[in-house]
Amino acid sequence: MTKIEAIVQPSKFEAVKEELREIGVDGMTVTDVRGHGRQKGHTEVYRGREYTVDLVPKVKIEMVVPDNLVDKAVTAILSSAKTGKIGDGKIFISRIDEAVRIRNDERGEAAL
Amino acid sequence: MSAAAVPNLRDLYLVESGGIRERFKQSGDGVAAVQERAALVESIALQLYAAFVAPGSGAPQHFSLAALGGFGRKVLFPGSDVDLLFLLEDAGTEQQYKPVIANICREMWDLRLRVSPTTRSLAECGRLYRDNLEFNMSLLDCRYLAGDARLFARLHDEVLPQLVVRERQPLVQNLAELTAARHAKYGQTIFHLEPNIKEGPGGLRDYNVACWLALISAMEKRHTWPPAEQLLAQELRDDCRHAFEFLCAVRCFLHQRQGRDDNLLSYELQAEAAAEGIGAKAQGALDPAEWMRLYFRHARVVDRVTAQSIDGAAGARSSLYRSFQDWRSRLSNADFQVSHGCILLRQATAMEDASTVLSLFEFVARHGFKLSRDAERRVARALLLLRQCLPGVPGLWDRLRVILTLRYAADALRAMHHSGLLTVLLPEFHAIDALVIRDYYHRYTVDEHSFIAIENLHRLSDAEDPWEKRIGEILAETERPELLFFALLVHDIGKGLPVANHITGSLQALDKILVRLGMDAEAEDSIRFLVSSHLEMSMTLSRRDIFDPETVRVLAERIGTPERLKMLCLLTYADIKSVNPEALTPWKAEMLWQLYAASINHLNRSLDDERLHPREMESEATRLLHQTALEGLPAFLEGFPRRYVLTHSPAEVAEHLRMAMALADDPVQVSLQKRSQFYGLTLITPDRPMLFATIAGTLAAWGMNIVKADAFCNRAGTVLDVFYFTDLFRTFDLNPTEIERFKNNLLAVLSGEVSLAALMAGRAKSGGTRPAKVTVSPQLTFDDESSSHSTLLELVAQDRPGLLYSVSSKLAKHGCNIEVALIDTEGQKAIDVFYLTVGGAKLDAARQKALAEALLEDI
Repeated sequence: MTKIEAIVQPSKFEAVKEELREIGVDGMTVTDVRGHGRQKGHTEVYRGREYTVDLVPKVKIEMVVPDNLVDKAVTAILSSAKTGKIGDGKIFISRIDEAVRIRNDERGEAAL
Repeated sequence: MSAAAVPNLRDLYLVESGGIRERFKQSGDGVAAVQERAALVESIALQLYAAFVAPGSGAPQHFSLAALGGFGRKVLFPGSDVDLLFLLEDAGTEQQYKPVIANICREMWDLRLRVSPTTRSLAECGRLYRDNLEFNMSLLDCRYLAGDARLFARLHDEVLPQLVVRERQPLVQNLAELTAARHAKYGQTIFHLEPNIKEGPGGLRDYNVACWLALISAMEKRHTWPPAEQLLAQELRDDCRHAFEFLCAVRCFLHQRQGRDDNLLSYELQAEAAAEGIGAKAQGALDPAEWMRLYFRHARVVDRVTAQSIDGAAGARSSLYRSFQDWRSRLSNADFQVSHGCILLRQATAMEDASTVLSLFEFVARHGFKLSRDAERRVARALLLLRQCLPGVPGLWDRLRVILTLRYAADALRAMHHSGLLTVLLPEFHAIDALVIRDYYHRYTVDEHSFIAIENLHRLSDAEDPWEKRIGEILAETERPELLFFALLVHDIGKGLPVANHITGSLQALDKILVRLGMDAEAEDSIRFLVSSHLEMSMTLSRRDIFDPETVRVLAERIGTPERLKMLCLLTYADIKSVNPEALTPWKAEMLWQLYAASINHLNRSLDDERLHPREMESEATRLLHQTALEGLPAFLEGFPRRYVLTHSPAEVAEHLRMAMALADDPVQVSLQKRSQFYGLTLITPDRPMLFATIAGTLAAWGMNIVKADAFCNRAGTVLDVFYFTDLFRTFDLNPTEIERFKNNLLAVLSGEVSLAALMAGRAKSGGTRPAKVTVSPQLTFDDESSSHSTLLELVAQDRPGLLYSVSSKLAKHGCNIEVALIDTEGQKAIDVFYLTVGGAKLDAARQKALAEALLEDI
């Protein structure tokens, strides 16, 4: 099992969700987050004065998928979240040792 | 699930599912498999219903369970959703049944069934959901499972027919819009290297759409449900049934193979399906290309039926659309009438005359309308009678000539092909019917490729791109464009014949065709020339240095006349552009234009004065020296090959000189310029080992696609490398600040501050970890004849990230100078050509042998 965390632009979230659903990723956890990478925030104007917004709004999507879905999930996120501009986001991939469904104690991929 | 309620349900499901899978494996009968699965899931649903809803009592009132969608149609694929409707008398009943609905769904979900439950009251089922039309459509497939039978009967016999009759127009319109949006997602074509057999055009969803539209139309007329087996028009039923059976078998295979609702017929699974004879058990194991040919034939049937169904339902579209269609219907004439964008025959006997049959398709070519279903049927019948006399009909070439040059010629040719007329007139064309070239590069079947090529040429009249406008001007200047269109129609027929070289096959077929058509001798010669030479320009522009005058001279003299050059350039443009939508890259387009311009100049000059051309070339260097009277220029130019001044403008030379003068301050000078379709990276520095390979590696690490590179070295040991590349990911276009970062990165790599290996490792090519779709056997060829100054190394290999870096590193280790590098990729095949010298001379035989061994070991 593999955990995929994708941090994407909020405007791209629906498209990402739809693409993931199409390839068979049914479950995900979604959080509104703030952060920056090389993008380094941007400049806003408030009451006539410029100020720098260091932390840019993003959406973090977390999902744990069977290993055979990892490539497809990453491709789906790339194809739907990419604009080519700095600030498109990041994907982090990590191994998961175990998953447990709390309701019936199912384990492993059966619990996903 | 409590084990006491329905014991062993999981075991039952697993055992029965295994049985279905095994029976499908043996019989290959996809329809039987999906019906058996629907029955199995139904039995599970009924057991759960009995356990939770009515344990020990009779059927409840005001509540029933129904199957929707594919489950309702008894077409349930292994990975499909199980659509369930929990039907309530009214909203007040919901609270009472909420716990049992949750229990049923949860238990089915724990069995790994993808339950998609819907709970609705009778009144809610009678509403039109404009934002959830899928629900309305799924109700058209509803089927009673359990519970209050009278409640379900009211839904089925009263509410739904009333809904359909009342809301026919929005239902049809929205269905057509959803289909159009779905088709748009798949590029409006059935032709994909890896088609989605459910959602793509010509897939199972299209088949459903055709059935739904027929059902809605029939319900509107009868106000009740028509027999399911009579939905589609009689003449289409057999073809549609075969297509449905084939697609069912393929989708079953995909779901079982992938273990989920995955409908992508990937390249690898095409080979597996072919080996197992999926959908064609009677034929046994098939070659993958032959099996895909079957797929495309079936997809074509479904695609046409769907298109006709949607056109037939056009009356339901907007008034604006109707006005447009009515306006177009004014184009009707004495023989043909246009209605809703379709051509109808005014007289039932019209198709008994061969000339009128051809006039019908000329009408299509002129106006772009489709044939109505009735007209298609009549053409098919007429062909049975006219099969013998049509190929010899007087003036056939004149009729074909007119069709080929009209705006919608490709549509007419497709219609002629679908009706069977084209292969009656040109039986040789049958060899490429739905023929698949399975190399992960050719996207269309060979017959469709030929039609698209013709279409692409006609579309030049609407071109907006400046480059395409120039190509369009050449077409306008062509004296006999019909010869060009005809050559495009037949140029690849040889691909379907058992010959080693498809051009030979095409010429053999052409000879037979020309005997029947009776063209004049000049026309026949022109078409033979175009067919025999149709790869000349594309091979030259991708595998030869087109800025080498010798290359241009050889090509131009082989072509012979400006008129033939124009036609061959147009044919090359159309042929490459029709391989796949991305095949004619901006770089290739630019190179084709440059090659055409150089060749036409050569031919025009040669006609005036054969001796002028070389003398003019000789004078170029002198002219340049006069125009850029800069200090240090002679020393800078000393030792550069003559090719340098021939391929750079005075302004560029002046800029290079300026950069060379600055070497004293900074030993590496870099300039990056955006040209119209690509970037040019110029780097000037004192010669150093592995320079070419290092630059190539850095560009690859940044995701840049190198298309050409020139390398020059002067007597003082100053190297001038020019790399032309395209920015695949538009990194520089969208992020201008990245240009500076790239330059700094390149300098850091050259100085050794940054490791190139680490940089390249960070660029994982998309899909880089997946196995290659096709296997390309490496091939190496040395050619000492094509260039006066270099040995050409032509390398064909499996494309992979860093291939150019790897090859150029090896060339450097063997002491070879790369004078010119031409880089091309066709699908997963890399075709690289290097102009190589050692010590300013061509490579000797021993070095070629050693180099070949080293490279083959590496690639």
